[in-house]
Amino acid sequence: MSSVLDVVLSSAFLAAALRIATPYLLAALGGLVAERAGISNIALEGQMLSAACTGALVAGYSGSVTVGALCGVAVATLLGVLLAALRLELGADAIIAGIGLNLLASGGTAYAVYSLLDDKGGTSGLKSGSLPTVTLPGVENVPVLGDVVSGQNMVTWLAFLAAPFVAWLFYRTRFGFHLRAVGEMPDAAASVGIAVRRVQYTGLALSGALAGLAGVFLSMGYVSFFVRDMTAGRGFIALAAVFLGGMRPWGVFLAALGFGAAEALAVQLGSLDVPPQLVSTIPYAMTLVALALYAWRRKRRGRVVPTAASL
Amino acid sequence: MTTTPTTLIETEDRRQYRATRRRDFAVDLSMALATILAALAIGFLVMLATGNDPVRAYEVMLTGPLDRSFRVGRWLEDATTLTLLGLSVAIPFRARQISLGAESQVYAGALAAATVAIFLPLPPVVAVIVPMAAAAAAGAGMGLVPGAMKARLGANEIVATLMLNAIVVRVYDYLVNGPLKESGSSAVHSKSVQQDSALTPLSDWFGVPLGRANIGFGVMLLTAVALWLLITRTPLGYRIRMTGANPDFAAYGGIRVPRVIEWSFVIGGAVAGLAGAHLVQGAYGRLEPGLAGSLAFEGIVVALLARNNPLVVVVAGLFYSYLRAGGDIMEQQTDVGTEIVVVIQAVIVLLVTAQALPNLLKRRIARRQVGVR
Amino acid sequence: MNEPWGEDGPAVAARQVTKTYANGVRAVRAVDLEVPPGEIRAVVGENGAGKSTLMKMFYGLEQPSTGEILVGGRPRVLRGPASAIALGVGMVHQNLMLVPSFTIAQNVVLGVEPGRRGLVDPKAAVETTARLAEESGLTVDPKARVDEVSVGMRQRTEILKALHRQARVLILDEPTAVLTPQESEDLFAAVRRLRDGGMTVLFISHKLREVREISDQVSVMRAGALVGTIATADATERSLASMMVGRDMSLDVDRTPARPTDTTLRVRGLRYEAPTGQSLHGLDFDVAAGEIVGVAGIEGNGQSELAEILAGLRRPTTGTVHIDGTDTAGLDVAGHRRAGIGYVPEDRLHNGAALDASIADNLVVDRHERPPLARHGVLHPGAVRAHAEQLIDQYAIRTPDPSVPVRALSGGNMQKVIVARELSAQPSLLIASQVTRGVDIGAMRFMYERLVDARDTGAAVLLISADLTELLALSDRLLVLKDGRLVARFDDTTGLTEKRVGLYMLGVEEHDRGRLTTGLENVGEEAP
Repeated sequence: MSSVLDVVLSSAFLAAALRIATPYLLAALGGLVAERAGISNIALEGQMLSAACTGALVAGYSGSVTVGALCGVAVATLLGVLLAALRLELGADAIIAGIGLNLLASGGTAYAVYSLLDDKGGTSGLKSGSLPTVTLPGVENVPVLGDVVSGQNMVTWLAFLAAPFVAWLFYRTRFGFHLRAVGEMPDAAASVGIAVRRVQYTGLALSGALAGLAGVFLSMGYVSFFVRDMTAGRGFIALAAVFLGGMRPWGVFLAALGFGAAEALAVQLGSLDVPPQLVSTIPYAMTLVALALYAWRRKRRGRVVPTAASL
Repeated sequence: MTTTPTTLIETEDRRQYRATRRRDFAVDLSMALATILAALAIGFLVMLATGNDPVRAYEVMLTGPLDRSFRVGRWLEDATTLTLLGLSVAIPFRARQISLGAESQVYAGALAAATVAIFLPLPPVVAVIVPMAAAAAAGAGMGLVPGAMKARLGANEIVATLMLNAIVVRVYDYLVNGPLKESGSSAVHSKSVQQDSALTPLSDWFGVPLGRANIGFGVMLLTAVALWLLITRTPLGYRIRMTGANPDFAAYGGIRVPRVIEWSFVIGGAVAGLAGAHLVQGAYGRLEPGLAGSLAFEGIVVALLARNNPLVVVVAGLFYSYLRAGGDIMEQQTDVGTEIVVVIQAVIVLLVTAQALPNLLKRRIARRQVGVR
Repeated sequence: MNEPWGEDGPAVAARQVTKTYANGVRAVRAVDLEVPPGEIRAVVGENGAGKSTLMKMFYGLEQPSTGEILVGGRPRVLRGPASAIALGVGMVHQNLMLVPSFTIAQNVVLGVEPGRRGLVDPKAAVETTARLAEESGLTVDPKARVDEVSVGMRQRTEILKALHRQARVLILDEPTAVLTPQESEDLFAAVRRLRDGGMTVLFISHKLREVREISDQVSVMRAGALVGTIATADATERSLASMMVGRDMSLDVDRTPARPTDTTLRVRGLRYEAPTGQSLHGLDFDVAAGEIVGVAGIEGNGQSELAEILAGLRRPTTGTVHIDGTDTAGLDVAGHRRAGIGYVPEDRLHNGAALDASIADNLVVDRHERPPLARHGVLHPGAVRAHAEQLIDQYAIRTPDPSVPVRALSGGNMQKVIVARELSAQPSLLIASQVTRGVDIGAMRFMYERLVDARDTGAAVLLISADLTELLALSDRLLVLKDGRLVARFDDTTGLTEKRVGLYMLGVEEHDRGRLTTGLENVGEEAP
């Protein structure tokens, strides 16, 4: 037990937790924005994957990490807009369209990599570089804190800033105000002249951009290559964090951070005599229990349970 | 601004109505074909844009799977698993429950089937059936968890099934790498199932090499028919359909909606469990890492493509597997990656879910006919 | 922020406006209407007369098929509420358009929030709301969440929303339907104050007493057309009623006096604590076989809750319900149906039908597991179809085929499917809630005949309706619900007038408990 404690309190673990939580944070906040705009973004996974692939490829060919990252985020943003268009213009079910986009991303990225590099696995043959880390002068040498905070990737910093940003957006800005109204009562928003569709398009674009940043982090954060299907279900976990966090920015932040920490723990405990696969189930099992408890409490309070989206 | 009034169905006579229905059906069918063609056309353009020869690629892809008998076998084997997984989500979808839990159910089924088929000595025939029953039961159990959470508590079934997937996949991974790993083997897999538990290969029946295709294909066909009968010819099927159409109406009519929701998850789970049994007792003969690949999610696509009609799911599953098999052959014989098939599939999904398209078309046709009259 | 208005002329007007929906229904026909500035104009008419559609066109929610809308003296094309709002038109919808999780202040400013550079200034929102409330006399708590305040305050919030947008025309769509009399009085006072400040008010209602009290002039609509406009001072309820009603068919249903026999429904001490909506506070009444008992009341006074409890969709907190002597406590919905209850729900789109399912499937929801439809666990589609063919014939449901989805049917026809299902189960108690809402006159007549038939063949009928004319025409006895309590009981409806019942509905008069419980066996202690 004490060895577990040692691991948890080590600065290496804390640093890893922040790093591993980064994509979860960004994607979950992206999912939150879409959810509050009234369109479930189940395509987070595909948006991350597309961004990761585009980022690595463009950076590799152009030689500019910045251009690569920007292109990655742009592609994910477009996928967000595409999801909104399918839903709003063509009457598609958001869930199914999201599954379709995920497939498209999975097939499209693998096909692109194979076509361009003749490599089934990924872009490791391409020199694409990675996004810079941020070293904090002064803090750097503070024991523990310096090890944990300083030297983190810039995207990690962005991820942690994204939570206050989304909270600010939701509760302080006119756009966030409209977004929440649109998601909760589209008729009410429309009746006061808010352009409901435009708000939803913008929300989904932002959602895609955040997921895109998460994707770019995967392929250009600590590694500098894209691996086929490298998101490995993170988009779905992020979606779970959205619900687990009660659809509020700080709740989602904590849920995503929890997933990251648990995964980091699983990795760190790999050195001990505990099967890492089993440790890594803990956050999901906890989510499942939390989901049940949350639903049970809501039911006891007699609130109306919203029915699921249609198929 | 003027709107053209369209005729109300209720004022039509029966002959007109039947004609309308035939026309709508024809539109639906041609839309399905057009969707597939459009997706293939997009795939064509993508290949062209990436500097490949699309004509040759399609030729290989679309004729390849029928080229040799063992390739037909590969196709049928893949279709068996895929269709079973499609059927497994079609049932909860019918009750308008978005269960994404086929993955957890198929792995639970595979584990149950393997455990029985490897370790429990049983007489012939029984040795085939008991592991399958165990797999169905395990899958059903995996279905019951999110089903009961949704039905009794109102917990979001999408999140619940996704979480369960994440858990079961990891536990499976642990078991295959750990306790169930064949000792002394360098590769990661379990011991093979006992000879008596293996599903009879179709090669034995037809006398031509059909690869790993086995009587699981027949089990799949029977399952599809059984589920179709369940939906259309039983009170439970009626309850599932009404719960899906309008749960408030179902409750008002005296149907116990929570129970129906649970049943839909349990039945779906059992079918996904069978898919796991097919993988273990038929396709692979043992547990391997990542046994089901992405089939669980593709099963969802197949179900949606078939509008959750069990018989159509078979057609969609065969079609889809055909593309998959063709894609693999294409990759071997040309420079085009098999992933183009996934892109084509994705485009089909996106076009199918764009429901406004066929309705727009139907309305336009109806309007033109009114004009003609 | 408002676009300029013309110098003079009407505040709002319609010229030869017609609205035809895509499904061929003509909701408004060639209406000419002018409302001068600073007037309270009542627009009255029965359900489905086209009032709401006309108002939606003034607010840009619907566009006229032909004709033109004038605002501020000029013809306008209103593409959406945004353009109507810019012209100074505000509307308070019947179902309120508020975001539940937002505070009142946030709802008031939604769409035109104070604050600089894309930010919302919450303090300014609260101050603005408080100031508007002060000026207009519409009391609200700006910081309270909308889902935690009374309906009356929500409605005041809606009006403040319009005021905040500097509305010069205010459309109120049946604003008093959900209000208590006191709240209605307060609303009227506020509306008058607004009028005196120059506001033009369009007041939609079908309650003649209110119209007489509040309006300057009254426009009457019937079947989509404008029948006429008269000064309120010259109007009597009788004259308005004759303008409004004038149906092609008389509403007087041919019915012989009831011959009630044994008690079918016995309700004693029925209480219900509602998590949301109206609670019930101790109801005692009987319905006998062979009589129609009407339940009158302003909507939202517990009628829905009562109907759903009797149908088994909600469980009462305390009290007992017996059907033909069977205690329904602990029975599920199917159990209630087995005990002999049929229920025509108030909102057929919500739970009366599965719109995308076929007529045949909709007709068997309560009997799909019994012979002849199902035997030994097998459902026979042929039997389901034959069953549907028979009911389609018996109940004159207009359709080419039983496989037609219910969604494709018109309102009246859809209601026939529901009534056919419920009556063909031969219930000993039929609960009919808003049975003629939104149906055409032919279907209305049909429903009336069927209800009387059901009564004459020995069913007990509990008729819940918002339409007093309908209740008086059909009921052998009448109960009045107010705030979840029974406040009146008329054992003889001959000679009973709408006006008299209205007094009880509004709580002006009340029967004493002795009269309410006369002749009932086993009534418990006095309900507080």
